[in-house]
Amino acid sequence: MDQNSNRRWVYILTFAAILLLYAMRIAGLQLGTTPYEQMAINNALNKVTLYPGRSVLFDRNGRILVRNTPAYDLKVFPKKMGSADSVLICQILGLDSADFAQRTLLAWINSKKRQRNNSYDRSAVFFSNLSPEQYAIIRENLYRLKAYYVEPKTDRLYNFNGSAHAFGYLGEVSEEMLESDPYYQPGDLVGITGIEKYYENQIRGIKGVKTVWQDRTYVEQGTVKNESFNKPAIAGPDVQLSLDMALQLLADSLMAGKRGSIVAIEPKTGEVLAFYNSPHYNPNLLVGQQRTEEFRKLLIDPKKPLYNRAVKGVYPPGSTVKPILALIGLQEGILTPETRHSCAGGYHMGSITVGCHPHPSPLALAQSIQISCNAYYCQLFRDIIDAPKYGNVREGYAILESYWRRFGLGSPTGIDLLGESGGNIPSVAQLDRRHGERWRSSMIISLGIGQGEILLTPIQLANLAAIIANRGYYYTPHLVKQIEGYSDTAWDRRFRTAHYTGIEPRHFVPVIQGMEMVTQVGGTARGAALDSVVVCAKTGTAQNPHGKDHSLFIAFAPKDDPQIAIAVIVENAGFGATYAAPIASLLMERYLHPERDTKKPYMKENMFNARLETP
Amino acid sequence: MPFKQSIENRLDPIALLAYIGLVLIGFINIYSASAGVDQEWLSLSTVARKQLVFIASAGLLALFIAYANVRLMDYFAYGFYGLAIALNIAVLFLGKEVAGAKSWFGYGGFGIQPSEFAKVATALALSKFLGTYGVRFKGWKNVTIALLLFLLPMGLILLQNDTGSALVFTAFFFMLYREGLPGFILISAVWLGFLAIIKIYLESLGVSYWYEYGILAGLASLFIYFTRSNKNLVRLTLMILVVSLVYSATIGWFYNQILQQYQRDRIELVLQLKEDRLGVGFNLEQSKIAIGAGEFSGRGFMEGTQTKMGFVPEQHTDFIFCTIGEEWGLLGVLVFFFIYGSLLMRLVFLSERQTTTAARVMGYSAASIFFVHFAINVGMTIGIVPVIGIPLPFISAGGSSLWAFTLLLFLFLRMDQKRM
Repeated sequence: MDQNSNRRWVYILTFAAILLLYAMRIAGLQLGTTPYEQMAINNALNKVTLYPGRSVLFDRNGRILVRNTPAYDLKVFPKKMGSADSVLICQILGLDSADFAQRTLLAWINSKKRQRNNSYDRSAVFFSNLSPEQYAIIRENLYRLKAYYVEPKTDRLYNFNGSAHAFGYLGEVSEEMLESDPYYQPGDLVGITGIEKYYENQIRGIKGVKTVWQDRTYVEQGTVKNESFNKPAIAGPDVQLSLDMALQLLADSLMAGKRGSIVAIEPKTGEVLAFYNSPHYNPNLLVGQQRTEEFRKLLIDPKKPLYNRAVKGVYPPGSTVKPILALIGLQEGILTPETRHSCAGGYHMGSITVGCHPHPSPLALAQSIQISCNAYYCQLFRDIIDAPKYGNVREGYAILESYWRRFGLGSPTGIDLLGESGGNIPSVAQLDRRHGERWRSSMIISLGIGQGEILLTPIQLANLAAIIANRGYYYTPHLVKQIEGYSDTAWDRRFRTAHYTGIEPRHFVPVIQGMEMVTQVGGTARGAALDSVVVCAKTGTAQNPHGKDHSLFIAFAPKDDPQIAIAVIVENAGFGATYAAPIASLLMERYLHPERDTKKPYMKENMFNARLETP
Repeated sequence: MPFKQSIENRLDPIALLAYIGLVLIGFINIYSASAGVDQEWLSLSTVARKQLVFIASAGLLALFIAYANVRLMDYFAYGFYGLAIALNIAVLFLGKEVAGAKSWFGYGGFGIQPSEFAKVATALALSKFLGTYGVRFKGWKNVTIALLLFLLPMGLILLQNDTGSALVFTAFFFMLYREGLPGFILISAVWLGFLAIIKIYLESLGVSYWYEYGILAGLASLFIYFTRSNKNLVRLTLMILVVSLVYSATIGWFYNQILQQYQRDRIELVLQLKEDRLGVGFNLEQSKIAIGAGEFSGRGFMEGTQTKMGFVPEQHTDFIFCTIGEEWGLLGVLVFFFIYGSLLMRLVFLSERQTTTAARVMGYSAASIFFVHFAINVGMTIGIVPVIGIPLPFISAGGSSLWAFTLLLFLFLRMDQKRM
């Protein structure tokens, strides 16, 4: 042994010190608070979204209206983008460098955003809705496009033209929706209007997820076996609409060359049988890559094809509200079926004259409806609001207004579409503003014949017809009949609750009798009668400051067991019986006798060929 | 007594067990790190299959040494050394470049790294030289020869641009301490390293060096004041101060001129003076994530995504330790540390019981080399040491290193077996 033997301890202590130091450092890494394991998992997992098919929409007879078609988004791992594949992708997609730079920036931002949401998905949409040609070329070149992959999703295919305002359309999810609902990812397609929007949460289905291992270069290394990481996509449930496609198609051809709106309701249920606007747009334009461009075109189209008249258009109802006024008078005891008022070519009171067409005078209630006597309803309007039992005209009018509101007027009906207008029923306050606080019945007399501040939407008009058909109540009109798996939910119950107007059924007898006489000899719309059933109807001609009068018509049939209530508005078409009545009549005939040809081919031919719209 | 030589001891069982244990740990982790995600059990990747061949051949090598005549080592020591030097020169001209270093002879898919064998040859040569009758690590001549014996291969390897392997030769400095290298040289080395780190910090932070010089001078003045009666100590302190100041003033230049940018980056990364989320910093971060993800009991055999998915670089060679950390957790790390530490301690113990200087030098050389490799390699994966690409003995995949470390260990164990 030499004298340096003790130096062994320097070695032993050095070895021990390093081992201890390292062990402590490693223990610090492994037992510390930094979530290294989560970081490791985030590194190696990628969540691939599995897109569900949206609900298939059927009509009330089971015909497929709206279905799905495959669509593809090009996604990118921004970190992995290189110059070679950038050039190639610009070539394939026809992008210029500015567009490319913008998309790249957006992808970076979105992929960062995803990471913050604790998602494993570090990729982002680079180009959504590839065209079939682009998709084909990209598939061939995918091995060269290392940073990119294609994610399948679904887009819409619409089988029927002419119902776009009911269906709505899809569009890319907005920034606000992304913020408010974590379900969505950039590039997702969501309902923007119509049923697609209203029932978005039901129709969209439930996205699935496939979690895959991927290595440092983002190459997939297999699916994670753990079940909790994988979830299949669940397609949206089948949705049956209450619409009858046969009616929609017939409406489309009858309304050719005309502007207006048609709404038909099944009175017993509130189900909307027909929902049609003219002009409208082809929903298949708002699909796929051309969506944005086509939407821009529709938006600036002077004909306003995107405008949903049936729920947003407001019209003075004209004579179509006369039966309602009669019902209110009867219920309040101010009018009896035998009450007669005379008419000398109109209603004259001081300086005011409301014109009327020539007819026998005086008339009882039923005839007043049949002939649509203005004088009768001006008198009735004044009788109601000036009735001594109310004390003064303001109180009297308030009673009338509350009745109108119980008929679903002045506020949205609650149909399953967003953006519905409530029309207008002037309140006492509104009349105060208009006429000063000391107004009298004579100053607002035009309300009695459906002119003035009173404005209704087509859906409200149709609902009026349904209320009369039901003798006093209605169900909230709705376009969706049922959604698989959603019966007896709050949604469902809302449409199965009857709303009563407070008018006793007995008062409907003389009014309906008058409406029946409208389609009989001496009525304003004899042509609307059907051979097989009794049609009850009321015409209307709404004065329009912008041009020719609007032609209005409400009806229901058959009289004793109403199956369909309908409102037709043809803008600038003049007298109600000229266009609106025949169109309604043909639609009711089709609905009540789906199996037979029309008995009024001449009328159908006339309507097909009438072109009112100035080109 | 002539009979004494013929007493056959056993090959030390503790060291042998540790060796087998480490090679086994190595293979398990190489198997896992190189396997694909959905790889079938017992099907071998190319890397793992190769490693099996290396292990088998290393076993044959060990057996050969165990039965070879111990005198052969003594006889061929210088010849082996000469051959190693020749090969390390030849590789400069004939070698192929791998990752910037020209340190490999390649034959098809197989490669030989002569620098690995230079370690063994240097250890043998030093062992022979210092074991020569009448030679001690004393006097200018002997010290110079001893130093040259390992500085020569170290220089050649530096020329190959393999800084990591060259750095390992400092292990011989450490070994020489046992043979009489003054302790203050080791302390000075630590002191100079410390000063260099201070300098790098100051430079990066843009702080004036005069603070450092002032503090050094102040400390020295205080020390001199309290020891002013001892003239020798005062002189020594002054000398240290002057050397430190000169060193501090010039090291910056060396740091910037001699080291390459990537080396400076790696150093500054460890000193946390730099952030680098994409390059080496990314690798280091991934390495730490891998080890940290193991937590207490590990993510499980074949479950380490960090290594398997390639987030950790060189996951079956230089960064193999990450697999141990990730898949076996702190428990696995401690088991590995225990076995590796046992081997190191055992080698010191065995060296001390040698009767010849030659055997002792061989033992301490082996222990020092294994230690330096461990300290650099593991330290690198956990961010304590700059990233330097050298293997973890017995664990990392690769033939040259396994054979070299096996040789190193078994040559000494054979000496120990035949000790007198």
